[in-house]
Amino acid sequence: MTDALPDYLCTCVTCSDQGIEMRVVALDPGGLARCRANDADDTLVDVELVTPVAPGDLVLVHAGVALALLAKGAAA
Amino acid sequence: MKFVDEFRDAQLGRVLAGEILATVEPGRHYKIMEVCGGHTHAIYKYGVDDLLPANVELVHGPGCPVCVIPMGRVDDGIAIAREPGVIFTVFGDMLRVPGADGTMLDAKAAGADIRVVYSPLDALRIARENPDREVVFFAIGFETTAPSTALTLKRARADGISNFSVMCNHVTIVPPLRALLESPDLRLDGFIGPGHVSTVVGCRPLEFIPADYAKPVVVSGFEPVDLLQSVLMIMRQLAEGRCEVENQYSRVVPYEGNLRALQVMAEVFALRPHFEWRGLGFISQSALRLSDAYRELDAEVRFSVPGVRVADPKACQCGEVLKGVIKPWECKVFGTACTPDHAIGTCMVSPEGACAAYYNYGRFARERAVV
Repeated sequence: MTDALPDYLCTCVTCSDQGIEMRVVALDPGGLARCRANDADDTLVDVELVTPVAPGDLVLVHAGVALALLAKGAAA
Repeated sequence: MKFVDEFRDAQLGRVLAGEILATVEPGRHYKIMEVCGGHTHAIYKYGVDDLLPANVELVHGPGCPVCVIPMGRVDDGIAIAREPGVIFTVFGDMLRVPGADGTMLDAKAAGADIRVVYSPLDALRIARENPDREVVFFAIGFETTAPSTALTLKRARADGISNFSVMCNHVTIVPPLRALLESPDLRLDGFIGPGHVSTVVGCRPLEFIPADYAKPVVVSGFEPVDLLQSVLMIMRQLAEGRCEVENQYSRVVPYEGNLRALQVMAEVFALRPHFEWRGLGFISQSALRLSDAYRELDAEVRFSVPGVRVADPKACQCGEVLKGVIKPWECKVFGTACTPDHAIGTCMVSPEGACAAYYNYGRFARERAVV
């Protein structure tokens, strides 16, 4: 397996089929949640399709929407 | 990192490669197609195909939504972007996709207010912040991305944001797969099924492939071990004379998909009678438009669009690449006239396009092989 290339060659900014694993940090009103991937800044994510979620849960995020709940907080 | 590190284990990858080798029937050539840009990208990034036996060939299908957008739709988007007072929002990769009269980046340089967003929600925020401007979101993507657009449209309506609209270019995965399977110039042995599309639609829509065409399908994750394990599962089906849909990515993909997402999509979208795919031509019921209930938020209703069909440049062989008939490096302009910096074809624009992925990761290996 080859070494990874720089991020600018690795990231599809179109989001086309990219899914990012993010941890729920806090819930916001209106079906939104602040989520974080690794050490990146928090991002506002629509979690309406995977509710109920709670801080600590791991979700798969694509184009600003959580598509799947990967693990509840305790297991994540 | 959980769900990542264990699927990048080089030793496990070598074990799987050995098991794949053990299932290969001598003298037989296997062609396995992946139909997800994320898979194409990961295959080149991690050199997955280098671990496979020489007679197991991975074929890169039409899985990158940027790559399948026809030039005419780019021109239609630019026409809206040039309307006075419009803020036109797009995912970044669309900026460099050529239309007949240049790219969206060219239009932006010429004065159109075109802005890159990372989600439709960003576009809606821009609409909220600019109530005196018309904000249009150029929506692309397969069923993975469509729920995001659908939820955003529901929010726009619920919040009464009337200066927001969507130019919908969402496409669906099943019709092009059927078109490929009907293609006389393509012989495939199996499919690596799209992981994130299946997160939304589930595995059931893929069941027609084994049922009608007797080909195995394995829905796969995106890490190198995922892909190797999926190839092994396909090879085992072939060796045992089975053909069915299997779910290698079960840690993420429920077999029935995300029912709530499907419900939202059914409310907001309707199937178009037909839609043009670059390289594949018009395919029936292969794309989404806004449903009649959301007609007032449809940019193609709100604005006048040319709607002219534009033929691809003659030198471009994206169509053959998307169908897996030729490899990226077999295109006449690959790496010479067509590079990521100066793309002629869409497959060279998006990092998930087969040509760009190969150019960025694989061309050096090929140069070594040629030498």
